[in-house]
Amino acid sequence: MVGHAGRGAVWVVVYLLFILAPLFALLAGSLPPARDFWTEFAIAIGYSGLAMMGLQFGLTARFRYVTAPWGEDVIYHFHRQISQIAVGLVVAHALIMSATYPEMFALPGAIGEVPLGAVFAFMSIFALIALVVTALWRVQLNIRYETWHLTHIALAVIAVAAGMAHMVGWAFYLSDPWKRALWIGLTIFWIGLLLYVRIFKPLFMLRRPYRVREVRKERGDTSTLVMQPDGHPGFRISPGQFGWLTLWASPFKITGHPFSFSGSAEVADGRVEMSIRNLGDFTSAIHKVPVGQRVYLDGPYGAFTIGNPADMHVLIAGGVGVTPMMSMIRTLADRGDKRPVILLYGSKDWESITFREELEALKARLNLDVIHVLANPPTGWTGEQGFISAEVFKRHLPPPYADHEYFICGPGVMMDAIEKTLGELGVPLTKYHSERYSFV
Amino acid sequence: MRRLFANRLAIVTGAVVILMSVLFALARVNA
Repeated sequence: MVGHAGRGAVWVVVYLLFILAPLFALLAGSLPPARDFWTEFAIAIGYSGLAMMGLQFGLTARFRYVTAPWGEDVIYHFHRQISQIAVGLVVAHALIMSATYPEMFALPGAIGEVPLGAVFAFMSIFALIALVVTALWRVQLNIRYETWHLTHIALAVIAVAAGMAHMVGWAFYLSDPWKRALWIGLTIFWIGLLLYVRIFKPLFMLRRPYRVREVRKERGDTSTLVMQPDGHPGFRISPGQFGWLTLWASPFKITGHPFSFSGSAEVADGRVEMSIRNLGDFTSAIHKVPVGQRVYLDGPYGAFTIGNPADMHVLIAGGVGVTPMMSMIRTLADRGDKRPVILLYGSKDWESITFREELEALKARLNLDVIHVLANPPTGWTGEQGFISAEVFKRHLPPPYADHEYFICGPGVMMDAIEKTLGELGVPLTKYHSERYSFV
Repeated sequence: MRRLFANRLAIVTGAVVILMSVLFALARVNA
């Protein structure tokens, strides 16, 4: 994040410009008579709330230039947080307007008397509220990921299109044709971003398929898919990055799932590997994937990569969170990089340690130390047990802790605990990188 | 921590947008 700070700041300014420039453009040209402060404020937050919602399509469009300085997980978290603020602004807009002009909200005698601008306003607000509720409580509401994803996109398009129709219908600030063109153009641009992700990118992926070359059974109910580019050179990964895998379907279906690449970045033939643990959902069928199966990959993504100069790489993995670490370790071995690497690896028990034997073998090619931390150790186990804690760090890492570069990947609870521990050990935010499994 | 960073970024962005909306309204009322 440190090296990218400048680029990150530029993207924040660009983001704000996309929201505020169209708003302040409304002040140019011919203007309607000014009303009271609260009305004008409500209008401003209505416009900016809609612009923020529209730009959400840009945040999730997976532009590598945009996401690189932050990491995909930060962008998705920002997407989630900013949507709540945007919906808050739109709801506040409606509440202020209804308090200021209660007569506009009086129930009409007949449905036909409701102005079209108001119909669109209600449509947009209901779609926005449904968006937030289904996104925040998808699991509690028992909505399948794929169903939710489709609904999410549909609701977002309805919210933004109806919001725009409401503005154009009311036409208070958009009476100038060029202002109307500017805001309608913006809406087309936002929806264009969605089309880019859902139509143009899949078209590109369709022309660059992969074939499964091997399915390797690993310890810990995990299978590794080795995938070879079919008729194209493939892409080059940085160790620790991830891709979206589409299996059993065309890339147009919304069934892509994010997985880390687990193979070395130093392969010459474009071959990539993903090691996937059976978590009971779509992942339970991975071991049944036949050799030769056509798959689609969108990637590589993510800022969770080694490369910064550091005296020591400390890799902290929980369970299948070891996959990006494996890519880093294999790559360092292929590069002949002899800088010290410590892997703190939490697993359920001795038998379920994915890549256990290979890690042992890799020690011969690297300055690698592997510390296994077992939740259920076998009898006679003298190593670390329980969970990766501050004590484990202190026992195995040489101080000063702030000099090392940390990479953490595992279940959310474990990552929260370790990030807290690193903070207590005085490790600055810029020295550690984390990647979370789930975006939604 | 990274999520905290994203939270803060969202709050600051929201605050800037609200502040600018206040300026917009003031500009209109005092024009």
